[in-house]
Amino acid sequence: MLLPSTIILLGLTIFPFVFGLILGFTDFSLIRPQNGMRGVGLENYIEIFTTEEFWISFKTTIIFTFFAVTIQLILGTLMAVLLHHNSKTAPIMRALYLLPLAVTPVAATFSFRMMFNPSLGVFNFFLESTGFAPLAWLSKPDLALISLIIVDIWQWTPFIMLIVAGGLASLPNEPFESAKVDGASDIQIFFHHTLPLLKPYLALAVIFRIIDAFKTFDIIYVLTGGGPGISTRTLNLMAYRYGMEYLELGYAASFAIIMLLIIILFSQFFLRKTNIYKTKVARL
Amino acid sequence: MNSKFLVKKITSYLLILIFAVWCLFPIYWLLATSLKTNLQTNADPPMFIFKPIIDNYRLIIQDPDIWHVFFNSLIVASGTTFFSLVLGVPAAYVLAKFKFKGNSDYSFWILSTRMAPPIAMLIPFYVMYNNFGILDTHIGLILAHISLNLSLVVWIMRGFFEDMPKEIEESSYIDGASYLNTFYKISLPISRNGMVAVGILCFLFSWNEFLMALILTDDNAKTVPVGISKFVGYQLIKWAELAASAMFMIVPIFIFLVFFQKQLIKGLTMGAIR
Repeated sequence: MLLPSTIILLGLTIFPFVFGLILGFTDFSLIRPQNGMRGVGLENYIEIFTTEEFWISFKTTIIFTFFAVTIQLILGTLMAVLLHHNSKTAPIMRALYLLPLAVTPVAATFSFRMMFNPSLGVFNFFLESTGFAPLAWLSKPDLALISLIIVDIWQWTPFIMLIVAGGLASLPNEPFESAKVDGASDIQIFFHHTLPLLKPYLALAVIFRIIDAFKTFDIIYVLTGGGPGISTRTLNLMAYRYGMEYLELGYAASFAIIMLLIIILFSQFFLRKTNIYKTKVARL
Repeated sequence: MNSKFLVKKITSYLLILIFAVWCLFPIYWLLATSLKTNLQTNADPPMFIFKPIIDNYRLIIQDPDIWHVFFNSLIVASGTTFFSLVLGVPAAYVLAKFKFKGNSDYSFWILSTRMAPPIAMLIPFYVMYNNFGILDTHIGLILAHISLNLSLVVWIMRGFFEDMPKEIEESSYIDGASYLNTFYKISLPISRNGMVAVGILCFLFSWNEFLMALILTDDNAKTVPVGISKFVGYQLIKWAELAASAMFMIVPIFIFLVFFQKQLIKGLTMGAIR
């Protein structure tokens, strides 16, 4: 019974991977298909690592991933804890909080694009009516990246909240009761008891989010398209441009392999560091 | 003491409320825009109070392009869900019930297929599809989406099968039923809830997936997200119509949310914590 899914998965993962690996050592391009796949050795890789654009995109990707995931983690944990202590409203609220996760990202991003509009958008309207200066959300490089992070936070904070909520529900009661008897404040209890017990859940939520944020595409493509200039062009977008717009498939394939290596190295490092293999959640 | 407690209570309610507004607002704004005239969408300051009209919806349901995209998504998402379950559930059952050498390695490999950036798979996919002539077909996109969702099905369903009490199946074996029979007649019906949850997730992921659909499809098989993104490019001025088509295309998701809320929450949490 394992066989059908194994064959399909092998066909759909290992085979493209090997093919992509080979492709990455060629200069195959759909602009000059008559040349076919000509081996160029490590040329693509050398070219990528020596282009400044790659390092700019790399930095953009790291900044985007770091800030988006960090804020999601804090906000998601806070909301999960608040809901946990307000069990009366929890069911309705949890259903509401779930909405951003389910809505088609492209549609949600379109809504944000209207709201970020400099002259007609609601965000600037709120800023102006509370006495702040309006912002050119999507046309200034730094602000455009912040706008993207805001959209990502909107969409994915509920994901962390859900996982943490699941973790909270499974925690034992005793340590909390005895801490309360000892006269610890709520905040002390949270940092000394709740947080350490939640660690495996948080680690899991964070690794999932980092992997996904690293390869975010739809939000960026629809909101800024990588612009202004190349200021919000992440690695994923850059690979897409080279592969699908300039049709340099060999070059793009080696680009994708580099991304794959980065994410594998990082997640191995992260999983080792946090030891979530050993805990029960690691059964995932 | 009492007033301090009250302050705490109020603050936490306030935060819960603010977060709810924050979660809902972009969706509300999309809905509100879709019920305005094009002139109203360009009003400065933005209009919060207006007389809603459904003209935009009337307009878009007459647009064959929108239905085309809509049905493409329906076909691709249903196909993906069906095949992912058919392939993934039996595999999950084997992994949960039979301990063999390399079991956990195999499981980890399946999970790792989800880690890869899609672009790493997509460029080879694109070249292969180009050669086989299945670019811009439903089956091509379904295959690609299966590769995304199979890991999810296997992981979640394995958890369900592991939690199932052994006794139920053992009594079936004692009655002389074969493994396969037990699987179909006993184990599958019991795990129905789990399969519904996983199925909804598969449908959702496939419905919302953008990058693969963007690369592997064109006019013939393009799905909802690609459709919306193309509309955004072509007619950015007609916000109201665009918002209406975006709303129209996320309707199936809202239907799912209303009908399967419990399973969805279960599925989403199960997906992460087993």
